Amino acid sequence: MGLLEVTNVHKSFGDTQVLKGINLKVDKGQVVSVLGPSGSGKTTLLRCINFLETADEGYLNFDGNSYHLPKASKKNIADIRKETGFVFQNYNLFANKTVLKNVTLGLTSARKIPAKEAEKKAYDTLKKVGMLEHMDKYPSQLSGGQQQRVAIARALATDPKILYFDEPTSALDPQLTAEVLDVMRDLAKDGMTMIVVTHEMSFAREVSSHIVFMADGVIVEEGTPTEFFENPKNSITRDFLRLTSVE
Amino acid sequence: MINENTMELLLSSFPKILEYGLKVTLPLAAIAFILSTVLAVIVAMIQYAKVPILKQICRFYIWIIRGTPLLVQLMVAFYGLPLFGISINPFLMAVIVFTINEGAYSAETMRAAMEAVPAGQMEAGYCVGMGYMQIIWHVILPQAFRTAFPSLFNALISMVKDTSLASSITVVEMFTRTKQIAGQSYNYLPLYIEVAVVYLLFCTILTYLQKRGENFLGSYGVRK
Ligand SMILES: Nc1ncnc2c1ncn2[C@@H]1O[C@H](COP(=O)(O)OP(=O)(O)OP(=O)(O)O)[C@@H](O)[C@H]1O
Ligand SMILES: [Mg+2]
Repeated sequence: MGLLEVTNVHKSFGDTQVLKGINLKVDKGQVVSVLGPSGSGKTTLLRCINFLETADEGYLNFDGNSYHLPKASKKNIADIRKETGFVFQNYNLFANKTVLKNVTLGLTSARKIPAKEAEKKAYDTLKKVGMLEHMDKYPSQLSGGQQQRVAIARALATDPKILYFDEPTSALDPQLTAEVLDVMRDLAKDGMTMIVVTHEMSFAREVSSHIVFMADGVIVEEGTPTEFFENPKNSITRDFLRLTSVE
Repeated sequence: MINENTMELLLSSFPKILEYGLKVTLPLAAIAFILSTVLAVIVAMIQYAKVPILKQICRFYIWIIRGTPLLVQLMVAFYGLPLFGISINPFLMAVIVFTINEGAYSAETMRAAMEAVPAGQMEAGYCVGMGYMQIIWHVILPQAFRTAFPSLFNALISMVKDTSLASSITVVEMFTRTKQIAGQSYNYLPLYIEVAVVYLLFCTILTYLQKRGENFLGSYGVRK
């Protein structure tokens, strides 16, 4: 039984169909990388799974419970979100809070955990991402890579059952990208379940247990990294891989 | 032009004018400003959250208040409230009218500032499990307040001067007091210049406070 399974996810914006029936299954401890050209619907898929967008159709099975995506209640959504973490492309750290407060806020306000306890938890996760010494700074005082590592710590602090990453390194230069990918590698080693939308081919290849390739709102190919990278079956996949390896 | 008598008049009137400034003008402006900011935040939140019906009521309130002169609003309150059997002292009435008037303007300032907070802040809040009001309170409002602060403070500075309109509903504030003294002495110009200097003094101090406030809020680290 998978930890998370979505079936038949559809989503349109106006007349544009962005997701045309996506099925995806993630087992506990798996790292699933979602690849695909720009505009294929990767971000929209993650956002639908975490209810940042309301899907037009589809089911989510999460941790043994099933939800109809367009009809999930506020209460269900809130409960699911408390068990999941989301890392955004542009970090989205709370601009008016220090690094420490960014990490504790979800604990103290949403989960009513006492401040002392929340801080202890925050120290742990900030240490894990190597940002403990910056805990009193504000987001605007950090580099992009540092901000993203804080965002990961913020997501981790809530002990999520699964973490979603939406191109966490695409706004970063190679050196800062490496910082963030290292943190994600450690998480994978610790057995964290993750769905990672990424353009980092070597990361996807090394770290993922499963690769999903999307194009134009559908999953056109999926498999293990070896299958996917060494023996792609679909011509769109082959073109995509050829283009990205040229980069 | 400035003879000994004028000099003496200026000196003797100064404490009296200042007294009414500190006793009436500044408290009126300060209380109305604080209350109007609270009102503005509530009205801005209703619009930001797009609460049906209440939102329309807020738009109507803002439309009425911004479309009519403050002086007219004061007169309507002064002659209108007694018709409903409401008799309150003029100072309190002035506080209410100034609060309602300024509230409409500040509500627009606050709403625009809230809407200027990037949508990602709200989404990040949701994704760590926070509820709507928790995000508004801990994340959106503090950032909006930082953005709105200079405009709000501007409004306060305007209000300090606009309090002179309260004289129309029999509030004896700093300007009315000056007029009284001037009437007794038949020496108008020097006293009006004197009260102008006192207003200027108040506003200079407020401008200084604004700067201090901005620096303080700037330490949020929100990009300047
Ligand atoms: N809020 C929206 N309103 C209208 N159209 C949208 C919206 N969000 C996304 N789209 C459209 O949906 C399509 C898929 O977008 P999405 O962001 O999911 O792609 P993506 O695979 O994440 O691309 P990228 O690799 O560039 O991030 C695009 O054509 C985009 O223009
Ligand atoms: Mg995207």
